[in-house]
Amino acid sequence: MPEAKRVLVADDSETVTTLLVTALELEGYQVDTALNGVEAYEKGISGDFDLVILDQLMPGLLGLEIIERWQTEGRPMRVIMLSGVDDDRTVVHSLDLGAVDFVRKPFRLPELMARIRQRLLS
Amino acid sequence: MDGTTIGLIAVGVVFGLDLFLLLGLVSLKAVHRRRMARHDTRRAGYVAVLSRHLAYEHHTDPIGADAGDDDAFIDAVIDLRNIVSGADIETLAGIVDRVGLARKQVARLRSRFPLGRRLRAAVSLAEIGDDSTAPVLIEHLDDREPEVRIQCARGLGRMRYTAAIDPILERLGKEQAWVRARFADTLVGFGAKATWPLIAYIRVNLGHDGNVGVIEAIRVLRTIGDRDAGPPLADVLRVSSDIEVKIAAIEALGSVGGPLAIGPLSESLQSPDWRLRAKAASSLGEIGDPEVGGDLARCLRDENWWVRRNSAAALASLLGGDRILIGALQGVDAYAADAAAEALADSGVLATARDRSETGMADEQDRILLAYVDGREEVPA
Repeated sequence: MPEAKRVLVADDSETVTTLLVTALELEGYQVDTALNGVEAYEKGISGDFDLVILDQLMPGLLGLEIIERWQTEGRPMRVIMLSGVDDDRTVVHSLDLGAVDFVRKPFRLPELMARIRQRLLS
Repeated sequence: MDGTTIGLIAVGVVFGLDLFLLLGLVSLKAVHRRRMARHDTRRAGYVAVLSRHLAYEHHTDPIGADAGDDDAFIDAVIDLRNIVSGADIETLAGIVDRVGLARKQVARLRSRFPLGRRLRAAVSLAEIGDDSTAPVLIEHLDDREPEVRIQCARGLGRMRYTAAIDPILERLGKEQAWVRARFADTLVGFGAKATWPLIAYIRVNLGHDGNVGVIEAIRVLRTIGDRDAGPPLADVLRVSSDIEVKIAAIEALGSVGGPLAIGPLSESLQSPDWRLRAKAASSLGEIGDPEVGGDLARCLRDENWWVRRNSAAALASLLGGDRILIGALQGVDAYAADAAAEALADSGVLATARDRSETGMADEQDRILLAYVDGREEVPA
């Protein structure tokens, strides 16, 4: 049996993390969570994740700053940005930095899960 | 008993009372903290169950029938509603319906509970109520508590329940200023659907109750930005004798009036009241039609500083307005020249002129402007 893919869900809202952890575990993924920017950054450095779902606005470090730091330290991650910020510049900046996708809140859960499945397949 | 003993007893009593009050306060805080902790635990539990329902459509974890009366459940639903959309919202609505949340909150709102619980019910219904609860929210637009009235209006605005527009409007003239402002925010949420009800309200209520509701309604029309409101607002500007109404109409015409508003606004430039002249100048600048350049240029010589300032700023925003302002620098009217120079500085023309001058690219207009601003004795003719 192949090993379950590992996903890190980083969002300062416990409601978001609970929802995503529930949905991801239901599909058989192994999930870890981070509730602030610093924790997300450190878990990303120390863990071996196949995908990170990263909120843009978090206390400690912003999502974009975390991606930049991972890249600087030679640990680029496959990231889906999740954000309530409806700002085209943030979207473009995220994708320019190497995020594989950008999903706006509020999101449709089945659609987000489909995007996650697709990114974990590719 | 001597005086010292009485004094010591008094100090002891005061100290004892203070200690008693302090302990009471600490106990109350501890009780509140425990209650909040229990609330948070229940809320997290509800989020987990609801998440399972959202993640797996055939999920059958039961949600207790008493959830509809539990603030923790309501908070969980509101939180999730804010992060999901589409079919997920319908799934949540189905669950909310099954636990009878709306029915229970309506009962709470109609009860004789103290404000806190009734307000909580109003907030819940404002956040998650649907068309079935709208009549109750309309009914409570007349609630004795202003906070409850505001929440009811907010809920109706969120639902975009158009039948609520007239009842909300009816309250505008009756509310205190802070409540009226919140009601106005709600009306903005209805967008263009509120335009004609607002216009009808203005026509019926113009000249009544100090026009407070009318002025707020005009401001709402301005924020909504529907061009259909232009001609009726021009009528209001013409027929009303209330300066505050006229000011609100002039400001709104700048935003929504378009070319049809130029005539009435240009007439206002002749008003004996300087406030109307100043506002009209700004609104004409907002419309941005170069045809009004001549009228605004005359206002650069107005006796009132605000009129001159607003006219110059308006000219700076018009196509070809810079040329008129530069002309004013060369005129004999020092007031007009100062207003023109300030507007040219604010609009960035002065900075551009300096840049061009430093690179040897300045043209005649740049030289006139720089000569004036730098205070040279003679401005080139």
